[in-house]
Amino acid sequence: MAGGTDTTDTFESVDWDETGSRLSTLSRRDRGALAAGLALVAAFLYDYLLLPASRPTVTVPVEWNVTQLDWLFVTTLLALLLYVAVPLYGNRRLTAYYWREFKKNRLAVLSLAYLLVVFAIGVVGPLLLEKPTLALDQAHQPPAYLSVDSAVPANCLGEVVDGRCRGTMAHPLGTTGDGKDILVLVIYGMQVSMKVGLISTLLVVTIGTTVGTVAAYGSGLVDELLMRYVDIQLVFPAFFLYLLLTYLFGGSLFMFIVIFGLTGWGSIARLVRSEALQRAEEEYITAARSAGAGTLYVIRRHLVPNVSNSVITAATLLIPGFILFEASLSFLSLGDPTVPSWGQVIATGRSDLSTAWWISTFPGVFLFTTILAFNFMGDALRDALDPRQET
Amino acid sequence: MTRPLLDVDGLVKQYPVTEGVLRNEVGRVRAVDGVSFTVDRGETLGLVGESGCGKSTTATTALRLEEPTDGRVVFDGEDVTAYDDKALKRFRRRAQMVFQDPTSSFDPRMSIGESVAEPLRVHGMRDRERRRRIVGDLLERVGLDAADVDRYPHEFSGGQKQRVGLARALVINPDLIVADEPVSALDVSVQADILDLIERLQAEFGLAIVVISHDMGVVREVCDRVAVMYLGEIVETAPTERLFEDPQHPYTRALLGSTPVADPRRRGRGTKLTGDVPSPSDPPPGCRFHTRCPEVIPDEAYDLDAETWRAVLNLRLRAASQGVDVEAVRTYAAADDGAGAADPDAVRAAIREEFDLPPTLPDARAEEALSGALDRIVAGDVDGAADRLAEAFPTVCRRERPGLVPEGTDLSADEWAAIKSLRAWIATLVDADESAVTDRLERRCADDRDRDGIDRLAVRAAFRLPEPLSDSDAERSVGAAIDALLAGRADAAADELYEAFGPLRESACHLNRD
Amino acid sequence: MTEPLLSIRDLRTVFHTDEGLVRAVDGVSFDVGRGETVCLVGESGSGKTVTGESITRLIRTPPGEVADGQIVFDGRDLATLADDDLRDPELERDIAVLRGDRIAHVFQNPQGALNPVYTVGWQIVEAILLHEDLPKAEARARGVDLLDRVGIPEATRRFDDYPHEFSGGMKQRVALAMALATNPDLLIADEPTTALDVTIQNQILGLLGELQDEFDMSILLITHDLGVVAEVADRVVVMYAGKVMERGDVFDVFERPSHPYTRALLDCLPGRGDAGARSIGGKLPPPTDPPDGCRFHPRCEHAVDACRRGEQPPDYAVDGDDDHVVSCVHYEPGGDPSVVRGEEAVPADGGRPVGGDAEDEGDDG
Repeated sequence: MAGGTDTTDTFESVDWDETGSRLSTLSRRDRGALAAGLALVAAFLYDYLLLPASRPTVTVPVEWNVTQLDWLFVTTLLALLLYVAVPLYGNRRLTAYYWREFKKNRLAVLSLAYLLVVFAIGVVGPLLLEKPTLALDQAHQPPAYLSVDSAVPANCLGEVVDGRCRGTMAHPLGTTGDGKDILVLVIYGMQVSMKVGLISTLLVVTIGTTVGTVAAYGSGLVDELLMRYVDIQLVFPAFFLYLLLTYLFGGSLFMFIVIFGLTGWGSIARLVRSEALQRAEEEYITAARSAGAGTLYVIRRHLVPNVSNSVITAATLLIPGFILFEASLSFLSLGDPTVPSWGQVIATGRSDLSTAWWISTFPGVFLFTTILAFNFMGDALRDALDPRQET
Repeated sequence: MTRPLLDVDGLVKQYPVTEGVLRNEVGRVRAVDGVSFTVDRGETLGLVGESGCGKSTTATTALRLEEPTDGRVVFDGEDVTAYDDKALKRFRRRAQMVFQDPTSSFDPRMSIGESVAEPLRVHGMRDRERRRRIVGDLLERVGLDAADVDRYPHEFSGGQKQRVGLARALVINPDLIVADEPVSALDVSVQADILDLIERLQAEFGLAIVVISHDMGVVREVCDRVAVMYLGEIVETAPTERLFEDPQHPYTRALLGSTPVADPRRRGRGTKLTGDVPSPSDPPPGCRFHTRCPEVIPDEAYDLDAETWRAVLNLRLRAASQGVDVEAVRTYAAADDGAGAADPDAVRAAIREEFDLPPTLPDARAEEALSGALDRIVAGDVDGAADRLAEAFPTVCRRERPGLVPEGTDLSADEWAAIKSLRAWIATLVDADESAVTDRLERRCADDRDRDGIDRLAVRAAFRLPEPLSDSDAERSVGAAIDALLAGRADAAADELYEAFGPLRESACHLNRD
Repeated sequence: MTEPLLSIRDLRTVFHTDEGLVRAVDGVSFDVGRGETVCLVGESGSGKTVTGESITRLIRTPPGEVADGQIVFDGRDLATLADDDLRDPELERDIAVLRGDRIAHVFQNPQGALNPVYTVGWQIVEAILLHEDLPKAEARARGVDLLDRVGIPEATRRFDDYPHEFSGGMKQRVALAMALATNPDLLIADEPTTALDVTIQNQILGLLGELQDEFDMSILLITHDLGVVAEVADRVVVMYAGKVMERGDVFDVFERPSHPYTRALLDCLPGRGDAGARSIGGKLPPPTDPPDGCRFHPRCEHAVDACRRGEQPPDYAVDGDDDHVVSCVHYEPGGDPSVVRGEEAVPADGGRPVGGDAEDEGDDG
């Protein structure tokens, strides 16, 4: 048969016994994700087991000693790329429609722009800037264009005019009581916030969606077992576990993310379950089963994408929740002191509020606007993704 | 070969009704309660009935999209009800479904090309380009554009989506398609197109089709044979034109009569059925239609017309089931007169009025019994009244369940059901060799008796076939079939039975006896 | 001839959407006389539901808007009333026009009309008390009576039942009872039986007829089902794409269907046992950009040039009968209706042959 394809490609011409033996129904994206995941695991093992602790993992183009948290972050970003960015690109018509709806809320668009900027700076900044270190001779410098009573900083780097120390552009947002530049801290804080928000949310969303859809579609015993476990977990005092571990081992951001990520998925699971229960009654699920699809396929290919709208909306509100939670814990001195999160900086400036007010204020402002931005975006997303308004 | 492609025998689907935390079963919804029908290759069978009759459930259960509670489904010589998962998946390639609501039967997040290609993917075709070409070709053949492959369901009209649904059902090259209300959600101006398409596809690909509908007009348009369902049972089966010209069952007649005709000169002629459809969790005893049947058979002892008898029966049934709320009637009657306690006569009159009973029944004995019962109701003894009415006004329609009986034979309903059962059982063995057949036969008959050697008697006992059967022709055919079976030749036995008892006209009504 | 109860002239209702202005109802005129049943027939997208909702301003404004036209109910133009007036009982006691009082609605899905958390009786009483000042007991008695009259068995007991305890047909009866609670002069029923089984549909249609006689009501029945129309209508209004194509007495319209759309619609009905159902090729015009000339011309097999230009043709009398009008160029004075009807031509100007040419005899159009 010559290269002409048309004559052989009608549905009657398919020889099913010949074709029908392979089981793989994974899409290209899924296979790509699997491959990337394996590559990451391999790289992680290489770093963990083979490289000595002192050598940075990556030297070109920048030196970067990849920490555990960084591995998690890279995984998260990869997952976001493959499971959010790729589908959006694939269903371009749908994406264009959502974008049009989303654009109607100008505040949300502004918020999105702001968040993208924060994200970009947060990812790239710490690679280019040195982590701030103790420099007591630079402590308590006021921000540029502002001044403070010269008694406050031990040493004024700028001019002293009328008994007031002036700020300089060397430290545009001033410095902390340890002499660390606040702008740099804010930038490092962006990355920390991104890590906390995104990784925890990804953990929660992944586990919650899986449990929710399986419970909804499985029904009966499976549903009972999973939901009763969720009930128990929701009551479980993860916070006290965290406190205990902090007490025993000292605060760690990694621990924060892992503990709250692995125990905080209960409400998402319930939300997903209730959505999935409705979807499971739709005819296209029966149509898929009629076509011969198995349970896993139906869940993966039909249930999960159709509950994703509610999940995404919930996720955009989870991210700021985690960020705020971490900031609160840091403020209460229960956070990770080695990590320059916004909450930590706010905490250190607590005692200087009347004099060196900029220490707490600037990170506070960033924290506030970031959370607000997520909330605006979340509202607009909910309206744009609302299935009832879907054409 | 006259063997049908699909033979459904005694299909039952019941749903438990549970209460409480521990899910105690308090009842069962008998959605499908013993349904049997056959579909030949290239034939279109219509399954007609109103909502709640179980026609959709029959279809999904026959395809094992839901697990049947009982019964046997034989597809091309294989027992579908006994399939394991792998065989079931293979079966899915041969029998497909088109769904009712074109909007919800497509995943809104998948393009129609992906939806149509899904069966191909699920059954292992990995070549994306090939799938795309096949789908494009098929879309053209159902009247759409190959370029529509990337468009989303919401961009299409209802009629177009139904075409896509047909394409999706066809893509896997099935032998049987079940179309669940294929045009109900569509405007009248496009219905004909879709029905046309179904007929064309059937002719072109030699499909067997089952059309489920509540619309008699649709069924008349495309079906070769029709089965009418009521409350989980089939009440009549017949070739289409004969069903419409000469319906044998009162429900069919009522259904046909109720369908509004686009002719204002014929208005007001429809049959008015009283009452609501009973609940499938508690179907009436005897003939399930007797609570609403305008032709319910009166007791011979009385001389009453059909309408009056119906009214009397309504009173009898209501008194027994929910009781008559005497207080309510009393208040109602009192309100009519004004102040003062209601006069018993007024109450009696009010009850008669409520049930459309004339002030006096034409038959004296009936009137006597009725008055007695009414007196008891007025006195507050509704149960006693119910008993009196039950005693005085029996009807065969409630006493005995009329099963399906084939036209033109003397067979009883039980005999006919047994023959169909035997036939379906044999049909699962047509591809087996002699020793396998004999082996299965022995195992089946050995349940009932402990004998060495299976003989005709044992087989007949195992399949509950009395000897001899009421109809001599039937007796001959069944005898021949059993002989062939004993010789190990299941295919000959099946041929004999399907040939002799081909798609016969059946109906389930006491009116058609004697 | 007495004044019609409801007189609609040139009604236009539009919706402001992202895609443009949707002219859902674009110049619809018809009358509903006292005590008669008028059926508004059309398929989805014809504008029939919006017409019904426009009468009592059930349209959501925004995005909808009754842009133009007259809706004269019992001598009073509803279109010019402010929305509040529709509910204000103080206004003009003898021509107090109230939504829910003199004009009542019944919808397709009885689920929507009945609030699941209140008993059926409570809802009927509420409907009564909204418009009349009665002691509770009397309102209750009226309610029970209504339930009984719509055919709910054991009305007194069922008065205190919740909607979910009723079947579909029963719920529709309850909805009817609620609509009748205030003795309306006009009942607007939008697809009241579409969601019901055919045997129940029969009961409800019969009930509507009885209630009409008993309450001396007019009924505006909106439906897509020509069978239902044939069963209950006195007069028929056929709509397509927001305009009226044909209007007349039910016998006239069914026996002498004049508009190509009406004829095509009758041809579509499946299972009439004759040559078989046909469909109407083509699609509904986009609601934001309707075609010039006659709305139906892209799908009409009798379309000529005159159909494609200008506005929708005005209403012409069929066979000289002013009561039976059709919006089609073939029926204008001097036109040739046989093109559409394919029978011996009866010229629109009534009786005399046009010109001296031989007429087309029984040609199938």
